[in-house]
Parts: sequence; C-alpha cells; structure tokens
Amino acid sequence: MDEIKKLKVRELLQYTGELIVMRDAGHQRLLELVSENSKLPVDLNEKIVFYAGPANPPKNSKIGVIGPTTSERMDKYLEMIFKLGVLATVGKGKRSDLAVKLCVKYKRVYFITPSGAAAYLSKCVKDIKVLAFPELGPEAIYNISVKDFPLMVAIDTNGNQIF
Amino acid sequence: MIHKREILEKLSNHLLKINETINPEVKAYIDGYVGPFSQALKENYKIAEAEKLPLCQDTGIVEFFVFLGNEVRLEEPIFSTLNEVVEKVYTENPFRFSLVSDPLFERKNTKNNIPAVVHIFQISGKSLEIKFLVKGGGSENLSALFMLKPSINVQELKDLIIGHVKENGAKGCPPLHVGIGIGGTSDKAMVLSKLALTKSFKERNQNPVYADFEEELLKDLNTLKIGFQGLKEGASIFSVHVEYAPTHVATLPVGVSLDCYLCRKGVVKFEDG
Repeated sequence: MDEIKKLKVRELLQYTGELIVMRDAGHQRLLELVSENSKLPVDLNEKIVFYAGPANPPKNSKIGVIGPTTSERMDKYLEMIFKLGVLATVGKGKRSDLAVKLCVKYKRVYFITPSGAAAYLSKCVKDIKVLAFPELGPEAIYNISVKDFPLMVAIDTNGNQIF
Repeated sequence: MIHKREILEKLSNHLLKINETINPEVKAYIDGYVGPFSQALKENYKIAEAEKLPLCQDTGIVEFFVFLGNEVRLEEPIFSTLNEVVEKVYTENPFRFSLVSDPLFERKNTKNNIPAVVHIFQISGKSLEIKFLVKGGGSENLSALFMLKPSINVQELKDLIIGHVKENGAKGCPPLHVGIGIGGTSDKAMVLSKLALTKSFKERNQNPVYADFEEELLKDLNTLKIGFQGLKEGASIFSVHVEYAPTHVATLPVGVSLDCYLCRKGVVKFEDG
C-alpha cells in the first residue's frame, strides 16, 4: 500500500506477482452480486486488476496471448472494485475524470501496459487459472502469475496523469 | 466456376498470416520508434511470427468487402464460404473468440468468431476480389457518423474529424489509420469509411481534390502528437484515406473509422475460367 503511494506518473516498472484478469462481463457479474449482497466468487482485497481477455492457448500450452483492453469502459465499476480492496488497475488508454478522482480519493494507481503486444506479454505469464465464470470464455475472471511484466504509471495517487 | 476449396485455401492462409505477421508498412514505423514500450512492440512481432501466435489478443471481428463479377459462378453463397474460412482459422489456431450472438441481453459467445461482416458489391466480369479487415473492438468503438449540413465548409469538416481523433485517438492503439467515408446515406458512409482502411498507406485518392484532402488531413492530424500507445512519442497517424459516393441534395453523411496500429488487412483475387 505504501509502495503504491510512492509511485509517480510515467514511472516504468517490471512487475512480478499476481494479477486478476477481468473485463466488461466479469465486472458486470460482480456488480450484480454486490447489489444483491451475495457472496463474491473472488477475493479482490489487495489485488491488482488487469483489464484483459486472453486468446485461446496454443496446443501444448495453457497460456494464450494476452494484452490490455480499453480501460475507460471499466470506469463505471472502478469505485466498486476499489471498495473491494483493489490496489491498482492495469489497462490501456486514457480514463475518465471520474477515474482520476477515484484514484486520488482511494489512493490507488492506474498502470498501462503495451497494447498490441500480446505475444510478447504472454511470455511474461507463468501460470493462469480460471477463478470465476468459466462460461464467459475470454471474459471469465482469471488469476495470472507474471514475471517482469512491463507497467507504466498512467495515473498516480495524486491524480497526475499521462494522457 | 471458382471452386469453394480454392477460396477456402487461399483466404484461410491469408487471414492466418495477417493475424500473425506484421504489416510491412507498419513494421517500418515500429522499427523506427524509440519511445516507451518500443522494445515490447519490436519483440512482439518477432515472437508472433516465430511461434505462430497472434500479434494481438483481440483477433477481432472479420469484415469482408467482396467485389463479385457478374459472370462468376460459385458453389454456394459467398458469405457461407467466408464464414467457413473464419470459423476454420479461428478454431484451429490460438486466436480469441470475440463475438457474442445477442448484442444486448445474453451476450453469449459464439465460440467460433462468426458471423463475419460481409459487404458484397457486384462488378462486371469474371473476377472475384475479396478485401478484408481484422477489426479489434477497441478501435471499432471509436467509429463515428456525422450527419452534416451540405453548407458545411471543408475546414469545418476537417476540424470535426480532427476533434474526434484528438478526443478518442489514444484509446484506439495509435498510430492510427484513419478511414473517412463521405456521401451516400448514413450506412453507406460508414461502409465507405471501412473500405478506406483497406488501402495501403501511400495510395491516394484518384480524384486530386480528394487526394489533397487526404494529405492535408494527415498533416493536420499528425500535429496532435498522440504518439505510439498514446504516449506522445513517435507517429500518431499512419495515413488517411477517403472514399466518397454521390449523396442527396439535403445531406452530407461523413463516416469516420479508425484502425489500430497493427492495421491487419488483406486482399485476395480469383478468376473464373
């Protein structure tokens, strides 16, 4: 948490650890469960959410190519996931003013990772497993373990942003 | 007769290739780019080609533009063959199924990336030419239609297009290819804007007035300094292409389509007899 606050906009880092992969449909399902006060199938506390949907894996591998999707589409779910304990999000492109305000309010950051570089990024993925909603295919919620995953701080906790 | 097998083979190979192999016109820009993430972009196309992986996880919705000669005989309707091509390529390779059947309620994945979007234009003669785009959702979401007054002047139209790209460009994986469709009806203008994206970067409109419009717009758009990945470094716009058609006296429809930096597109041609 303290490390997140130290990050400054445009800072580049190589992240090794876990990411929760989730995009439009996964967020929508969580929102429905949250509004019904139902138990969630994933624990997002202190996690980093990566807005992505992997491609099908090649034969003899379980890791398909993966890369960021447009983050702005997920802005309406951002406060929900921050309240669930998410520390940071990863995606591509500019986000809404609301997203910037939420990063300041909750002291969270937004990272970007290269888009259109999915073959390269998949080489940083060491393991993948489905956490929830497998019926959604590429839109299911996954956990991935990554090594030296390239990130750039696009919005820092003071609301400074690249775009 | 152009046999279905011939179309399946040639088109499947080409559709596979453009998902895995960098567009040569784009490669030159990537190789010259030195800004943030440049190493990842360079490594990406090398890994994709060497390991037969798609360049992008969003292997898109495939959009076909079919120019079908009136003397061409086919074994089945062309859209059936085209869907078979897409299903085969996308289920046999490590691509993504990005299509949902019902767009509003269930949004259930079709699990084969079909149906493709097919536009058929009848031409005279014995040839069949199929142009296609592999269109990702991120850039597709930035499409726009402007229904303008015929009294609008050229500068006002340019400002409108520049304003749209300035506001949205960074979300579409720039540098971008910009396709503009002018005239026809609302739907025709959008199709023309997509067709414009099938052109190679150096091509210019055969009408010199429209060619100048393309050049000027390219120059103006590149002053926006959007850059690779929207990070303000490197090229912003690869090229601008305009397709136009006659329109109603009371209308001026303008469609704008943007393609991401990978510009995955192709063309195949067949002859009957």
